[in-house]
Amino acid sequence: MTEEQKQMADFVLRRIRKPNLVIDENTPLVSSGLVDSMALGDLLLELEDLTHLRIPPGKVRPKDLDTVAMMFATAARVGKPQK
Amino acid sequence: MRKHPLQCRVPRYLNLIDALNAAPGERPFITHWISEDEQETVTFGEFRDRARIQAEAIRAKGVNRGDRVVIIMPQGIPAMTAFAGAMMLGAVPAFLAYPNYKVEPAKYRLGLAGVTANLRAKLVVIDEEFPDDMLGHVSLGDDSMLHRAGNAEATHETDAIVDSSFSGDCVAFIQHSAGTTGLQKGVALSHAAVLRQLEHLVQALQIDGAMDRIYSWLPLYHDMGLIACFVMPMVYHVPVVMQSPLDWVMRPESMLQILSDHKCTLAWLPNFTFQFVSRRTRPNRRAQYDLSSVRALINCSEPVRASSMREFQDAFGASGMKASALQSSYAMAENVFAVTQSDISRGSAPSQIWADFNQFRSTHRIVPVAEGSAGSICFTSSGRLLPNHEIRIVSDADSILRDGMVGEILIKSDCLFEGYYNRPDLTAKALVDGWYRTGDLGFCLNEEIYVVGRAKDLIIVGGENLYPQDIEEIVSSHSAIHDGRVIALGMDNPDLGTQEIVVVAEVENEELLAKSHEIEREIRSSIVAGLGVAAGTIFLKPPKWIVKSTAGKPARSATLEKLRKEHPEIKKES
Repeated sequence: MTEEQKQMADFVLRRIRKPNLVIDENTPLVSSGLVDSMALGDLLLELEDLTHLRIPPGKVRPKDLDTVAMMFATAARVGKPQK
Repeated sequence: MRKHPLQCRVPRYLNLIDALNAAPGERPFITHWISEDEQETVTFGEFRDRARIQAEAIRAKGVNRGDRVVIIMPQGIPAMTAFAGAMMLGAVPAFLAYPNYKVEPAKYRLGLAGVTANLRAKLVVIDEEFPDDMLGHVSLGDDSMLHRAGNAEATHETDAIVDSSFSGDCVAFIQHSAGTTGLQKGVALSHAAVLRQLEHLVQALQIDGAMDRIYSWLPLYHDMGLIACFVMPMVYHVPVVMQSPLDWVMRPESMLQILSDHKCTLAWLPNFTFQFVSRRTRPNRRAQYDLSSVRALINCSEPVRASSMREFQDAFGASGMKASALQSSYAMAENVFAVTQSDISRGSAPSQIWADFNQFRSTHRIVPVAEGSAGSICFTSSGRLLPNHEIRIVSDADSILRDGMVGEILIKSDCLFEGYYNRPDLTAKALVDGWYRTGDLGFCLNEEIYVVGRAKDLIIVGGENLYPQDIEEIVSSHSAIHDGRVIALGMDNPDLGTQEIVVVAEVENEELLAKSHEIEREIRSSIVAGLGVAAGTIFLKPPKWIVKSTAGKPARSATLEKLRKEHPEIKKES
């Protein structure tokens, strides 16, 4: 995992309140039920901070955030420079 | 008994389609906001054309007047035109929730099968991407058909002539009462009843189609989204900017962007939204929004919490959000929509009353005390009755209670439903002598209605009424417990001959379960200190254990069911 991916993985674990769980960049988060709907918005905000990109929510489906790796791929695909 | 003194004007239209046909063709109707650079807008004229095309396609499937048409499509213009198209034929459409990742699949499948079977639909309209594994759970009778509505059919021109000259007494559509578990109840509403409700609502809110613009993220299968944000704007020709509930939940802040960019004036929001948006919008981004166009954000569909509205105002006052624009309403599908509305013309937020908490709890009486005084509780008004509405507050023995006494809310109006669709059993329980038993608890004071909770959730310990929300607030405040992930229930204890308090609470992380005894002891002490009663059993559970509703809130009945499965010692009859 890259440094940003590690930071995102740590954020996910704090957000889902499972600090001792081990996840890697390919661990399913949304489809496995680890991440719920109310957390998705927080994940997007964190992703924006880590990538310095603005991510239009309408361009992102929950499945696009299913793993840490997919989150960064999604940011690269739909992200725009921050205002 | 309270009664609104004013009589309102007679609705101007024969039916809802008559109203749509009278809309100015060039005025924007629905703007579907996907992102700041992707939006689709249809004018009233374009919407009518698309609805006629849908009507043509639905008629081609053999649908006639009175036939039910179930629409299970993603939130968007095609779903709305399919709904209007069905109504143009005199058929009876009903929106059902589209499957999404938020909904528990087993629960969704059960609900879908039950609701579609009860409606006995002639046609079920789905989109091209409807998941195949869900199709088996759509109950199609011998005479029912499935129709996949693609976007292509909404793009060609039509000269179809649709005869929509049916009377107002015909059923316009079926909307489902909100329910987080079990089968939702279908409420069939006539065109005339809907038109009467809308007339009251438009009058109370002084809505002007040429001046107002509505914002919505609300699902169309819920009365607030369907009536306030689709049918009312369709009839009174008000532009709407909407986004899907999923897009909103992924970026709650987008609500502010839409309100600001589109200069929206009105929105209806459930109570939790006020906190949810405030807490998920970074302070350094608030200044970029201009909310000065908003004249009413109406807190509706949950008991109104003063603290939620205060938090929103504190967060966005500097963005131009007027305190007087934070308003409230009490609404339900069985009455088409609103029963009350706070007075937006007086230029202030809804009334609040501070009451003695002990008196409220033990004698069910509102004894006003000074604002913020020790041992007090604050209630926010849901406003006054709409015209042609009556309300009663009754005790457990069905005696009519005077002002300031808490009891079950009964309503009667000129837009009340006549019964649950195909469910005479449920209708007989809900409608008594023309009064609808809402199952909500509340009180009247100074001609205003205050809603305090659901009667069925009330916990009665030794004759004393306890509101689960009060217990949940205390438990949530413990540092080891995840805020908002607590459910308090009352369970019959045959040994004691009364109920006992059962608490289910999620700890912040699983490691804390090792300290269960200590946490439990502290929670017990807090409950005794705060409410003067002892909790029975406290179940501490790992994160994400509590079952949530489609709105993301703890689902009481489903959690109890799960608790019983895991703890068979809990008796079923309790």
